[in-house]
Amino acid sequence: MGNVVTMHCRQGMSDEDRLVAVASGDRGAFRALFESFAPRVKSYLMRLGAVSAIAEDLAQDAMVQVWRKAGTYDPARARASTWIFVIARNAWIDRLRRERVELAYQAASDPEPEAMEAPDDAVARAQTEAQVAAALGVLSEEQKQVIRLSFFEDKPHSEIAETLALPLGTVKSRLRLALMKLRAHWEGLA
Amino acid sequence: MTPAHHPSDDILAAYAAGALDPGFGLVVGAHIEMCAACRRRLSAFEAASGEALAALPAAALAADAFAQTLSRLDAIQAPAPVIDRRPLIERLPLAKKKWIAPGVWVSAVMTPHAKDNRVYVLHVGPGKPTARHTHAGAEFCTVLKGAYRDELGLFQAGDFAAADDALEHQPKVAGDEACVCLFATEGRLKAKGALGRLAFAYADV
Ligand SMILES: [Zn+2]
Repeated sequence: MGNVVTMHCRQGMSDEDRLVAVASGDRGAFRALFESFAPRVKSYLMRLGAVSAIAEDLAQDAMVQVWRKAGTYDPARARASTWIFVIARNAWIDRLRRERVELAYQAASDPEPEAMEAPDDAVARAQTEAQVAAALGVLSEEQKQVIRLSFFEDKPHSEIAETLALPLGTVKSRLRLALMKLRAHWEGLA
Repeated sequence: MTPAHHPSDDILAAYAAGALDPGFGLVVGAHIEMCAACRRRLSAFEAASGEALAALPAAALAADAFAQTLSRLDAIQAPAPVIDRRPLIERLPLAKKKWIAPGVWVSAVMTPHAKDNRVYVLHVGPGKPTARHTHAGAEFCTVLKGAYRDELGLFQAGDFAAADDALEHQPKVAGDEACVCLFATEGRLKAKGALGRLAFAYADV
């Protein structure tokens, strides 16, 4: 209801508090979340290969979903950044899927759209279960660095490959390079 | 049953970050559905991705981005899709089977993926041989039913395997049940021997 107390508190609110407030329809809290996350979601999507206009559209779309789904957010289970990240990632995967499906229609003039849209929702399903915990402490510093370097920073591939020579997992560095090639495939789509 | 073979950290990190081709992501997702341990690992990688997201430099938004978003809040929502709880093997949209030999067929999975990649299900009856082969690029595999054994060990329902162009192997079905696997591959497999090549060319999915 925007009384004096909540107005004062808003300055010191965490993102988690804001998400909880959004669930009860607080547009001020939503604006604050929008201002800190929407530009970063756009940035993330552009790193995945989306062109600026699509990244902008999807970032707005992700924030609309943040608004609508805020009631399902549980601060005991996930940080706000994790929860918003998962929404943004899935918005991208859904878009990619839809666009590829449309391309397939044009190519094959398939008369059975339902067959093409049948859910391979493994990704979506894994995601809902993954909201259970933000067990960040499980990851080593090296693992976190790999994530940052490979997917969230604009580094030349050679530099990433060098850093990825860390003793991580059992897959050879060639496979890691293959993963980067996969990422390059995506870049051609948007 | 708890799977014994899991995706490595880098694969799971790429999956969590949304950076895998959707075809490859589907194969990783098939394992995750059957593996509680990897669901827990995935949430850790998602949390790390969330941290990385919050630390990204901000991209410039349209001047009226917030106003545009507000105007979308009241738009009519599409109803939430009903979640299909059947096992993945029954949910996959499969193209017509191509028979390679008695008891052996492949079927393309009609799911979006990058143009040069292939996503398919391979069914091999008990006692049927497969061709010794190498790979043109990365290959992900999750066993959906039955089991196979190759140079790397025994792979049973739920197990995940990643191969690259350094691996040459000849999987053999283990046990009395047919083995059904979901694959995503980059490029084509390269069979060793004329017969294998013929089968692969015919079955090109
Ligand atoms: Zn696993």
